[in-house]
Amino acid sequence: MHLPDHEFVKPATLADSLALLRSASGEIKLIAGGTDVVYNMRGRLFQPDILLSVRDLAELQGVADTTAGGIRIGAGIRLTDLEHEPRVAAYPALVTAGRAVASRHVRNMATLGGNLCLDTRCWYTNQTAEWRQAKGPCLKNGVAVCHAIKSASVCVALNASDIAPALIALNADITLANVDGERRLPLTDFYTDDGVTHTIRDADELLVAIDLPAPSGRTVFIKETARKGNDFSYAVIAAGGEVAGQRVTGLRIVLGCLTTRPLSLQEPVRIIETRGLTDEAIDVAAAAARDELGPLTNLYTPAAYKSSLARSLVRQALRELRDATP
Amino acid sequence: MTTKRQVMTLTVNGDSHELLVSPRQTLLDVIRGQLGLTGTKEGCATGTCGVCTINNDNGEAFLSCITPALEWDGKAITTIEGLEAGGKLAAIQQAFIDYGAVQCGFCTPGVIMSAQGIVNTLDDPSEDDINDGMAGVLCRCTGHIKVKEAIRNVAKYKS
Ligand SMILES: Cc1cc2nc3c(=O)[nH]c(=O)nc-3n(C[C@H](O)[C@H](O)[C@H](O)COP(=O)(O)OP(=O)(O)OC[C@H]3O[C@@H](n4cnc5c(N)ncnc54)[C@H](O)[C@@H]3O)c2cc1C
Repeated sequence: MHLPDHEFVKPATLADSLALLRSASGEIKLIAGGTDVVYNMRGRLFQPDILLSVRDLAELQGVADTTAGGIRIGAGIRLTDLEHEPRVAAYPALVTAGRAVASRHVRNMATLGGNLCLDTRCWYTNQTAEWRQAKGPCLKNGVAVCHAIKSASVCVALNASDIAPALIALNADITLANVDGERRLPLTDFYTDDGVTHTIRDADELLVAIDLPAPSGRTVFIKETARKGNDFSYAVIAAGGEVAGQRVTGLRIVLGCLTTRPLSLQEPVRIIETRGLTDEAIDVAAAAARDELGPLTNLYTPAAYKSSLARSLVRQALRELRDATP
Repeated sequence: MTTKRQVMTLTVNGDSHELLVSPRQTLLDVIRGQLGLTGTKEGCATGTCGVCTINNDNGEAFLSCITPALEWDGKAITTIEGLEAGGKLAAIQQAFIDYGAVQCGFCTPGVIMSAQGIVNTLDDPSEDDINDGMAGVLCRCTGHIKVKEAIRNVAKYKS
Protein backbone atom coordinates (compact mmCIF):
# COMPACT_ATOMS: atom_id res chain seq x y z
CA MET A 1 0.00 0.00 0.00
CA HIS A 2 1.31 3.43 -0.89
CA LEU A 3 1.79 6.10 1.75
CA PRO A 4 -1.03 8.61 2.15
CA ASP A 5 -0.79 11.61 -0.10
CA HIS A 6 1.44 14.43 1.12
CA GLU A 7 4.10 16.86 0.06
CA PHE A 8 7.71 15.92 0.86
CA VAL A 9 10.16 18.70 1.67
CA LYS A 10 13.75 18.59 2.76
CA PRO A 11 15.17 22.03 3.62
CA ALA A 12 18.95 22.35 3.42
CA THR A 13 19.42 24.09 6.76
CA LEU A 14 17.98 24.17 10.26
CA ALA A 15 16.99 27.82 9.79
CA ASP A 16 15.01 26.96 6.65
CA SER A 17 13.34 24.08 8.48
CA LEU A 18 12.29 26.30 11.38
CA ALA A 19 10.99 28.96 9.03
CA LEU A 20 8.88 26.39 7.22
CA LEU A 21 7.58 24.94 10.49
CA ARG A 22 6.32 28.39 11.42
CA SER A 23 4.89 29.40 8.06
CA ALA A 24 3.48 26.21 6.55
CA SER A 25 -0.26 25.90 6.27
CA GLY A 26 -1.79 22.51 6.94
CA GLU A 27 -0.53 19.74 9.14
CA ILE A 28 3.21 19.31 9.05
CA LYS A 29 5.05 16.30 10.39
CA LEU A 30 8.76 16.08 11.03
CA ILE A 31 10.52 12.98 9.79
CA ALA A 32 14.02 11.92 10.82
CA GLY A 33 14.81 8.21 10.50
CA GLY A 34 11.19 7.65 9.55
CA THR A 35 10.97 4.31 11.36
CA ASP A 36 8.00 5.50 13.40
CA VAL A 37 6.54 8.09 11.04
CA VAL A 38 6.35 5.84 7.98
CA TYR A 39 5.01 2.98 10.07
CA ASN A 40 2.26 5.27 11.36
CA MET A 41 1.54 6.63 7.89
CA ARG A 42 1.14 3.11 6.57
CA GLY A 43 -1.38 2.47 9.35
CA ARG A 44 -3.09 5.77 8.44
CA LEU A 45 -2.52 7.07 11.95
CA PHE A 46 -0.56 9.98 10.52
CA GLN A 47 -1.88 11.69 7.39
CA PRO A 48 0.05 14.94 7.34
CA ASP A 49 -0.16 17.44 4.48
CA ILE A 50 3.60 17.91 4.57
CA LEU A 51 6.50 15.73 5.63
CA LEU A 52 9.50 17.84 6.60
CA SER A 53 12.68 15.78 6.57
CA VAL A 54 15.38 16.64 9.10
CA ARG A 55 17.34 13.45 8.47
CA ASP A 56 20.34 15.05 6.84
CA LEU A 57 20.49 18.37 8.71
CA ALA A 58 24.15 18.94 9.63
CA GLU A 59 23.11 21.11 12.59
CA LEU A 60 21.52 18.10 14.30
CA GLN A 61 24.60 15.89 14.02
CA GLY A 62 27.61 15.31 16.23
CA VAL A 63 28.51 15.02 19.88
CA ALA A 64 30.44 17.79 21.63
CA ASP A 65 31.92 18.41 25.08
CA THR A 66 30.18 21.07 27.15
CA THR A 67 31.79 23.59 29.48
CA ALA A 68 29.95 21.86 32.34
CA GLY A 69 32.02 18.73 31.74
CA GLY A 70 29.17 16.88 30.08
CA ILE A 71 28.24 16.31 26.47
CA ARG A 72 25.76 17.72 23.98
CA ILE A 73 24.33 15.20 21.53
CA GLY A 74 22.71 16.36 18.30
CA ALA A 75 19.11 15.15 18.09
CA GLY A 76 19.69 13.81 14.58
CA ILE A 77 22.37 11.31 15.55
CA ARG A 78 21.59 7.82 14.29
CA LEU A 79 21.28 5.18 16.98
CA THR A 80 24.04 3.12 15.34
CA ASP A 81 26.38 6.12 15.51
CA LEU A 82 25.37 6.79 19.12
CA GLU A 83 26.56 3.27 20.05
CA HIS A 84 29.99 3.89 18.56
CA GLU A 85 30.49 7.46 19.77
CA PRO A 86 33.42 7.42 22.24
CA ARG A 87 32.05 10.27 24.38
CA VAL A 88 28.80 8.40 24.92
CA ALA A 89 30.65 5.37 26.34
CA ALA A 90 30.93 7.25 29.66
CA TYR A 91 27.13 6.83 30.03
CA PRO A 92 26.63 3.04 29.99
CA ALA A 93 22.86 3.18 30.58
CA LEU A 94 22.48 5.26 27.42
CA VAL A 95 24.58 2.86 25.37
CA THR A 96 22.62 -0.13 26.64
CA ALA A 97 19.27 1.57 26.05
CA GLY A 98 20.27 2.67 22.55
CA ARG A 99 21.28 -0.87 21.66
CA ALA A 100 18.01 -2.22 23.03
CA VAL A 101 15.96 -0.39 20.40
CA ALA A 102 14.49 -2.53 17.61
CA SER A 103 17.06 -4.12 15.29
CA ARG A 104 20.35 -3.21 13.63
CA HIS A 105 18.36 -2.49 10.47
CA VAL A 106 16.15 0.01 12.30
CA ARG A 107 19.05 1.53 14.27
CA ASN A 108 20.88 2.14 11.00
CA MET A 109 18.00 4.52 10.17
CA ALA A 110 16.52 5.71 13.48
CA THR A 111 17.63 8.84 15.32
CA LEU A 112 17.84 9.78 18.97
CA GLY A 113 15.49 12.74 18.50
CA GLY A 114 12.93 10.52 16.79
CA ASN A 115 13.15 8.07 19.67
CA LEU A 116 12.43 10.77 22.25
CA CYS A 117 9.49 12.10 20.21
CA LEU A 118 8.23 8.64 19.25
CA ASP A 119 4.44 8.51 19.17
CA THR A 120 2.67 6.78 22.05
CA ARG A 121 1.34 3.28 21.42
CA CYS A 122 -1.93 1.53 22.20
CA TRP A 123 -3.17 -2.01 21.59
CA TYR A 124 -6.20 -0.55 19.83
CA THR A 125 -4.75 2.23 17.69
CA ASN A 126 -1.58 0.46 16.62
CA GLN A 127 -3.41 -1.90 14.29
CA THR A 128 -4.02 -1.61 10.59
CA ALA A 129 -6.56 0.93 9.36
CA GLU A 130 -8.80 -1.95 8.22
CA TRP A 131 -8.68 -3.57 11.66
CA ARG A 132 -9.69 -0.32 13.34
CA GLN A 133 -12.67 0.17 11.03
CA ALA A 134 -14.84 -2.16 13.13
CA LYS A 135 -14.82 0.13 16.15
CA GLY A 136 -13.83 3.35 14.49
CA PRO A 137 -11.75 6.32 15.56
CA CYS A 138 -10.77 7.26 19.10
CA LEU A 139 -9.17 10.09 21.06
CA LYS A 140 -6.11 9.81 18.82
CA ASN A 141 -8.25 10.89 15.88
CA GLY A 142 -10.03 13.68 17.72
CA VAL A 143 -13.09 11.65 18.75
CA ALA A 144 -13.99 11.54 22.46
CA VAL A 145 -13.94 7.74 22.69
CA CYS A 146 -11.33 5.39 24.08
CA HIS A 147 -11.49 1.72 23.03
CA ALA A 148 -8.62 0.70 25.29
CA ILE A 149 -10.12 1.83 28.60
CA LYS A 150 -13.82 2.52 28.22
CA SER A 151 -14.04 5.21 30.87
CA ALA A 152 -10.90 7.09 29.84
CA SER A 153 -11.39 10.75 28.98
CA VAL A 154 -7.71 11.26 28.21
CA CYS A 155 -5.78 9.06 25.77
CA VAL A 156 -4.04 6.26 27.68
CA ALA A 157 -1.60 5.23 24.94
CA LEU A 158 1.82 4.46 26.36
CA ASN A 159 5.22 6.00 25.90
CA ALA A 160 7.24 3.48 23.92
CA SER A 161 10.72 4.98 24.00
CA ASP A 162 13.48 2.78 25.42
CA ILE A 163 15.94 5.66 25.56
CA ALA A 164 13.88 8.36 27.32
CA PRO A 165 13.92 6.59 30.72
CA ALA A 166 17.70 6.12 30.47
CA LEU A 167 18.26 9.78 29.63
CA ILE A 168 15.93 10.91 32.43
CA ALA A 169 17.87 8.74 34.89
CA LEU A 170 21.01 10.47 33.58
CA ASN A 171 19.45 13.90 34.32
CA ALA A 172 19.38 14.90 30.65
CA ASP A 173 18.15 18.26 29.41
CA ILE A 174 16.79 18.86 25.93
CA THR A 175 16.81 21.95 23.76
CA LEU A 176 13.88 22.87 21.55
CA ALA A 177 14.25 25.52 18.86
CA ASN A 178 11.88 27.62 16.82
CA VAL A 179 12.42 30.71 14.66
CA ASP A 180 12.39 32.93 17.74
CA GLY A 181 15.11 31.07 19.61
CA GLU A 182 15.69 28.13 21.90
CA ARG A 183 14.43 26.81 25.21
CA ARG A 184 16.13 24.25 27.39
CA LEU A 185 14.33 22.01 29.88
CA PRO A 186 14.80 18.75 31.77
CA LEU A 187 13.78 15.83 29.54
CA THR A 188 11.44 14.61 32.26
CA ASP A 189 9.36 17.80 31.85
CA PHE A 190 9.02 17.17 28.11
CA TYR A 191 6.36 14.48 28.57
CA THR A 192 2.69 14.75 29.56
CA ASP A 193 -0.01 12.36 30.78
CA ASP A 194 -2.03 12.67 27.57
CA GLY A 195 -1.29 10.06 24.90
CA VAL A 196 -2.36 12.42 22.12
CA THR A 197 -0.30 15.50 22.96
CA HIS A 198 2.29 13.43 24.74
CA THR A 199 5.05 16.07 24.69
CA ILE A 200 5.00 19.80 25.32
CA ARG A 201 6.69 20.49 21.97
CA ASP A 202 4.95 23.36 20.18
CA ALA A 203 4.00 22.71 16.56
CA ASP A 204 6.71 25.08 15.30
CA GLU A 205 9.48 23.60 17.44
CA LEU A 206 12.22 21.15 16.62
CA LEU A 207 14.21 19.10 19.11
CA VAL A 208 17.81 20.05 18.39
CA ALA A 209 20.01 18.66 21.16
CA ILE A 210 20.26 16.55 24.28
CA ASP A 211 22.57 17.68 27.10
CA LEU A 212 24.06 15.31 29.65
CA PRO A 213 25.83 16.47 32.80
CA ALA A 214 29.32 15.18 33.57
CA PRO A 215 29.17 11.43 34.08
CA SER A 216 28.97 10.50 37.77
CA GLY A 217 27.90 7.59 39.91
CA ARG A 218 26.45 4.40 38.52
CA THR A 219 23.62 3.83 36.08
CA VAL A 220 21.83 0.69 34.97
CA PHE A 221 19.27 -0.07 32.27
CA ILE A 222 17.15 -3.19 31.78
CA LYS A 223 14.64 -3.98 29.04
CA GLU A 224 11.98 -6.69 29.20
CA THR A 225 10.35 -7.78 25.99
CA ALA A 226 8.90 -10.83 24.24
CA ARG A 227 11.82 -11.36 21.87
CA LYS A 228 15.40 -10.25 22.32
CA GLY A 229 15.49 -8.42 19.00
CA ASN A 230 13.23 -6.04 17.11
CA ASP A 231 10.46 -5.67 19.63
CA PHE A 232 8.90 -2.85 21.57
CA SER A 233 9.31 -3.27 25.31
CA TYR A 234 6.88 -4.63 27.85
CA ALA A 235 8.76 -2.39 30.24
CA VAL A 236 12.16 -0.84 30.72
CA ILE A 237 13.84 0.53 33.80
CA ALA A 238 16.76 2.88 34.25
CA ALA A 239 18.32 3.83 37.56
CA GLY A 240 21.23 5.96 38.62
CA GLY A 241 22.84 7.44 41.71
CA GLU A 242 25.97 7.93 43.77
CA VAL A 243 26.53 4.57 45.41
CA ALA A 244 28.88 3.94 48.34
CA GLY A 245 28.37 0.48 49.75
CA GLN A 246 24.68 0.34 50.66
CA ARG A 247 24.26 4.10 50.82
CA VAL A 248 22.97 5.89 47.79
CA THR A 249 22.34 9.58 47.14
CA GLY A 250 20.84 11.38 44.16
CA LEU A 251 18.91 8.22 43.28
CA ARG A 252 16.73 8.18 40.18
CA ILE A 253 14.53 5.23 39.20
CA VAL A 254 12.60 5.59 35.96
CA LEU A 255 10.15 3.05 34.56
CA GLY A 256 9.34 3.24 30.87
CA CYS A 257 6.69 1.84 28.51
CA LEU A 258 4.14 1.18 31.27
CA THR A 259 2.61 4.65 31.42
CA THR A 260 1.94 7.57 29.11
CA ARG A 261 5.00 9.41 30.35
CA PRO A 262 8.22 7.79 31.55
CA LEU A 263 7.59 7.42 35.27
CA SER A 264 10.13 8.72 37.78
CA LEU A 265 9.42 6.81 40.99
CA GLN A 266 9.14 8.86 44.20
CA GLU A 267 8.40 6.66 47.20
CA PRO A 268 10.84 3.86 46.24
CA VAL A 269 13.58 6.49 45.97
CA ARG A 270 12.71 7.86 49.41
CA ILE A 271 12.76 4.37 50.91
CA ILE A 272 16.16 3.50 49.49
CA GLU A 273 17.74 6.85 50.28
CA THR A 274 16.62 6.52 53.92
CA ARG A 275 17.19 2.82 54.46
CA GLY A 276 20.02 2.03 52.04
CA LEU A 277 20.33 -0.71 49.44
CA THR A 278 19.63 -3.63 51.75
CA ASP A 279 17.72 -6.62 50.39
CA GLU A 280 14.77 -5.82 52.68
CA ALA A 281 14.62 -2.15 51.71
CA ILE A 282 14.86 -3.10 48.04
CA ASP A 283 11.86 -5.43 48.42
CA VAL A 284 9.84 -2.71 50.16
CA ALA A 285 10.78 -0.18 47.49
CA ALA A 286 9.87 -2.61 44.71
CA ALA A 287 6.45 -3.21 46.27
CA ALA A 288 5.88 0.54 46.61
CA ALA A 289 6.47 1.09 42.89
CA ARG A 290 3.08 -0.40 42.04
CA ASP A 291 1.17 2.42 43.75
CA GLU A 292 2.70 5.02 41.46
CA LEU A 293 1.82 3.30 38.19
CA GLY A 294 -1.92 3.99 38.02
CA PRO A 295 -4.20 1.77 35.90
CA LEU A 296 -2.25 -0.74 33.81
CA THR A 297 -4.91 -2.02 31.47
CA ASN A 298 -3.54 -0.77 28.16
CA LEU A 299 -1.27 -2.66 25.78
CA TYR A 300 -0.62 -6.30 25.06
CA THR A 301 0.02 -7.81 28.50
CA PRO A 302 -2.35 -8.24 31.48
CA ALA A 303 -2.25 -5.74 34.33
CA ALA A 304 -1.25 -8.40 36.85
CA TYR A 305 1.77 -9.32 34.75
CA LYS A 306 2.81 -5.71 34.32
CA SER A 307 2.42 -5.04 37.99
CA SER A 308 4.73 -7.89 38.96
CA LEU A 309 7.07 -6.99 36.11
CA ALA A 310 7.44 -3.47 37.47
CA ARG A 311 8.15 -4.85 40.91
CA SER A 312 10.82 -7.27 39.73
CA LEU A 313 12.45 -4.70 37.46
CA VAL A 314 12.77 -2.27 40.38
CA ARG A 315 14.26 -5.02 42.49
CA GLN A 316 16.66 -6.12 39.76
CA ALA A 317 17.77 -2.58 38.90
CA LEU A 318 18.46 -1.66 42.53
CA ARG A 319 20.44 -4.84 43.13
CA GLU A 320 22.49 -4.21 40.00
CA LEU A 321 23.09 -0.66 41.10
CA ARG A 322 24.37 -1.90 44.44
CA ASP A 323 26.42 -4.83 43.16
CA ALA A 324 27.87 -3.36 39.95
CA THR A 325 31.59 -2.89 40.08
CA PRO A 326 32.16 0.87 40.14
CA MET B 1 -4.31 17.72 -2.43
CA THR B 2 -2.82 16.17 -5.51
CA THR B 3 0.45 14.35 -5.36
CA LYS B 4 3.39 16.48 -6.28
CA ARG B 5 5.91 14.36 -8.11
CA GLN B 6 9.57 15.26 -7.86
CA VAL B 7 12.63 14.41 -9.89
CA MET B 8 15.26 12.56 -7.92
CA THR B 9 18.55 10.89 -8.68
CA LEU B 10 19.35 7.53 -7.22
CA THR B 11 22.40 5.37 -7.75
CA VAL B 12 21.45 1.72 -7.67
CA ASN B 13 24.15 -0.94 -7.86
CA GLY B 14 26.52 1.61 -9.39
CA ASP B 15 24.10 2.88 -12.06
CA SER B 16 22.76 6.40 -11.75
CA HIS B 17 19.04 6.92 -12.45
CA GLU B 18 16.95 10.05 -12.79
CA LEU B 19 13.43 9.26 -11.62
CA LEU B 20 10.07 10.99 -11.33
CA VAL B 21 8.80 9.97 -7.93
CA SER B 22 5.67 10.61 -5.88
CA PRO B 23 5.92 11.25 -2.12
CA ARG B 24 3.59 8.29 -1.75
CA GLN B 25 6.30 5.89 -2.93
CA THR B 26 8.78 4.18 -0.66
CA LEU B 27 12.26 3.22 -1.77
CA LEU B 28 10.93 -0.33 -2.10
CA ASP B 29 8.19 0.83 -4.49
CA VAL B 30 10.78 2.55 -6.67
CA ILE B 31 13.22 -0.37 -6.67
CA ARG B 32 10.59 -2.93 -7.60
CA GLY B 33 7.97 -0.95 -9.49
CA GLN B 34 9.98 1.64 -11.32
CA LEU B 35 13.38 0.01 -11.77
CA GLY B 36 12.06 -3.53 -12.15
CA LEU B 37 14.55 -4.89 -9.62
CA THR B 38 12.23 -7.44 -8.08
CA GLY B 39 14.87 -9.27 -6.05
CA THR B 40 14.03 -7.08 -3.07
CA LYS B 41 10.77 -8.31 -1.53
CA GLU B 42 7.91 -6.78 0.38
CA GLY B 43 6.86 -8.65 3.52
CA CYS B 44 5.24 -6.88 6.46
CA ALA B 45 5.80 -3.37 5.07
CA THR B 46 6.17 -2.08 8.63
CA GLY B 47 9.85 -2.63 9.40
CA THR B 48 9.41 -5.84 11.33
CA CYS B 49 10.32 -8.71 8.99
CA GLY B 50 13.39 -7.37 7.18
CA VAL B 51 12.83 -8.99 3.79
CA CYS B 52 13.04 -5.57 2.10
CA THR B 53 16.59 -5.05 3.40
CA ILE B 54 19.09 -3.29 1.13
CA ASN B 55 22.45 -1.60 1.82
CA ASN B 56 23.14 2.13 2.06
CA ASP B 57 26.22 3.90 0.71
CA ASN B 58 28.19 2.84 3.79
CA GLY B 59 27.23 -0.77 3.15
CA GLU B 60 24.92 -0.87 6.17
CA ALA B 61 21.67 -2.83 6.11
CA PHE B 62 18.44 -0.82 6.23
CA LEU B 63 14.78 -1.18 5.38
CA SER B 64 13.48 0.02 2.02
CA CYS B 65 9.81 -0.49 2.99
CA ILE B 66 9.80 2.29 5.60
CA THR B 67 12.03 4.72 3.72
CA PRO B 68 10.26 7.43 1.71
CA ALA B 69 11.89 7.29 -1.73
CA LEU B 70 12.47 11.04 -1.87
CA GLU B 71 14.64 10.80 1.26
CA TRP B 72 17.22 9.01 -0.83
CA ASP B 73 17.54 11.72 -3.47
CA GLY B 74 21.21 11.96 -4.41
CA LYS B 75 22.20 8.82 -2.54
CA ALA B 76 23.34 5.34 -3.46
CA ILE B 77 22.01 1.91 -2.57
CA THR B 78 22.92 -1.69 -3.25
CA THR B 79 20.25 -4.34 -3.79
CA ILE B 80 20.61 -8.11 -4.06
CA GLU B 81 21.07 -7.71 -7.84
CA GLY B 82 24.21 -5.66 -7.21
CA LEU B 83 26.18 -8.25 -5.25
CA GLU B 84 27.27 -10.38 -8.17
CA ALA B 85 30.17 -8.87 -10.13
CA GLY B 86 31.31 -9.98 -13.58
CA GLY B 87 29.34 -13.22 -13.43
CA LYS B 88 30.84 -14.14 -10.09
CA LEU B 89 28.69 -14.42 -6.99
CA ALA B 90 29.69 -12.43 -3.92
CA ALA B 91 31.35 -14.37 -1.12
CA ILE B 92 28.19 -14.27 1.00
CA GLN B 93 26.05 -15.66 -1.84
CA GLN B 94 28.39 -18.61 -2.43
CA ALA B 95 28.53 -19.26 1.31
CA PHE B 96 24.71 -19.34 1.47
CA ILE B 97 24.63 -21.93 -1.33
CA ASP B 98 27.34 -24.13 0.15
CA TYR B 99 25.95 -24.06 3.68
CA GLY B 100 22.36 -24.64 2.58
CA ALA B 101 21.15 -21.36 4.07
CA VAL B 102 18.18 -21.13 1.71
CA GLN B 103 14.82 -22.85 1.73
CA CYS B 104 11.81 -21.36 -0.06
CA GLY B 105 13.89 -18.33 -0.97
CA PHE B 106 11.39 -15.53 -0.40
CA CYS B 107 13.29 -13.92 2.45
CA THR B 108 16.70 -14.79 1.03
CA PRO B 109 17.46 -11.43 -0.64
CA GLY B 110 16.70 -9.64 2.62
CA VAL B 111 18.60 -12.19 4.65
CA ILE B 112 21.63 -11.95 2.36
CA MET B 113 21.60 -8.14 2.33
CA SER B 114 21.43 -8.20 6.14
CA ALA B 115 24.40 -10.58 6.22
CA GLN B 116 26.22 -8.42 3.69
CA GLY B 117 25.67 -5.49 6.07
CA ILE B 118 27.66 -7.41 8.67
CA VAL B 119 30.37 -8.33 6.14
CA ASN B 120 30.62 -4.70 5.01
CA THR B 121 30.91 -3.17 8.46
CA LEU B 122 32.87 -5.74 10.52
CA ASP B 123 36.07 -7.55 9.65
CA ASP B 124 35.74 -10.35 12.15
CA PRO B 125 32.17 -10.45 13.47
CA SER B 126 31.60 -12.17 16.81
CA GLU B 127 28.60 -14.38 17.55
CA ASP B 128 26.96 -11.37 19.20
CA ASP B 129 27.63 -9.23 16.13
CA ILE B 130 26.02 -11.85 13.90
CA ASN B 131 22.95 -12.11 16.15
CA ASP B 132 22.75 -8.33 16.27
CA GLY B 133 22.93 -8.01 12.50
CA MET B 134 20.40 -10.75 11.81
CA ALA B 135 17.77 -10.14 14.52
CA GLY B 136 15.88 -7.73 12.27
CA VAL B 137 15.16 -10.20 9.49
CA LEU B 138 12.94 -13.25 9.70
CA CYS B 139 13.02 -16.58 7.89
CA ARG B 140 9.95 -18.74 8.45
CA CYS B 141 11.25 -21.90 6.78
CA THR B 142 14.76 -22.66 7.77
CA GLY B 143 15.54 -20.41 10.71
CA HIS B 144 18.87 -18.76 11.34
CA ILE B 145 21.13 -21.77 12.09
CA LYS B 146 22.35 -22.39 8.53
CA VAL B 147 22.36 -18.69 7.84
CA LYS B 148 24.69 -18.05 10.75
CA GLU B 149 26.93 -20.92 9.65
CA ALA B 150 27.25 -19.30 6.24
CA ILE B 151 28.11 -15.93 7.77
CA ARG B 152 30.68 -17.47 10.14
CA ASN B 153 32.40 -19.05 7.17
CA VAL B 154 32.15 -16.22 4.67
CA ALA B 155 35.83 -15.27 5.14
CA LYS B 156 36.81 -18.48 3.35
CA TYR B 157 35.15 -17.22 0.19
CA LYS B 158 36.70 -13.80 0.10
CA SER B 159 39.39 -13.69 -2.54
C1 LIG C 1 10.02 -3.02 13.93
C2 LIG C 1 10.23 -1.85 14.85
C3 LIG C 1 10.65 -2.06 16.15
C4 LIG C 1 10.84 -0.99 17.01
N1 LIG C 1 11.29 -1.24 18.27
C5 LIG C 1 11.54 -0.22 19.11
C6 LIG C 1 12.05 -0.46 20.41
O1 LIG C 1 12.33 -1.59 20.78
N2 LIG C 1 12.24 0.60 21.23
C7 LIG C 1 11.98 1.88 20.84
O2 LIG C 1 12.21 2.80 21.62
N3 LIG C 1 11.49 2.14 19.61
C8 LIG C 1 11.28 1.14 18.73
N4 LIG C 1 10.80 1.39 17.47
C9 LIG C 1 10.38 2.76 17.12
C10 LIG C 1 11.41 3.60 16.39
O3 LIG C 1 12.09 2.83 15.44
C11 LIG C 1 12.45 4.22 17.30
O4 LIG C 1 11.84 4.79 18.42
C12 LIG C 1 13.30 5.25 16.58
O5 LIG C 1 14.33 5.71 17.44
C13 LIG C 1 12.53 6.46 16.06
O6 LIG C 1 13.46 7.34 15.47
P1 LIG C 1 13.28 7.90 13.98
O7 LIG C 1 14.39 8.85 13.74
O8 LIG C 1 13.13 6.81 13.00
O9 LIG C 1 11.89 8.65 14.16
P2 LIG C 1 10.87 9.20 13.09
O10 LIG C 1 9.98 8.11 12.67
O11 LIG C 1 11.55 9.97 12.03
O12 LIG C 1 10.08 10.22 14.04
C14 LIG C 1 9.41 9.80 15.21
C15 LIG C 1 8.63 10.99 15.79
O13 LIG C 1 9.52 11.99 16.24
C16 LIG C 1 9.29 13.22 15.56
N5 LIG C 1 10.61 13.80 15.36
C17 LIG C 1 11.68 13.24 14.76
N6 LIG C 1 12.76 14.03 14.85
C18 LIG C 1 12.37 15.14 15.53
C19 LIG C 1 13.04 16.33 15.96
N7 LIG C 1 14.34 16.54 15.72
N8 LIG C 1 12.32 17.26 16.65
C20 LIG C 1 11.00 17.05 16.94
N9 LIG C 1 10.33 15.94 16.55
C21 LIG C 1 11.00 14.99 15.86
C22 LIG C 1 8.54 12.87 14.31
O14 LIG C 1 7.71 13.92 13.87
C23 LIG C 1 7.72 11.67 14.78
O15 LIG C 1 6.55 12.09 15.43
C24 LIG C 1 10.61 0.34 16.57
C25 LIG C 1 10.19 0.55 15.26
C26 LIG C 1 10.00 -0.52 14.39
C27 LIG C 1 9.58 -0.25 13.00
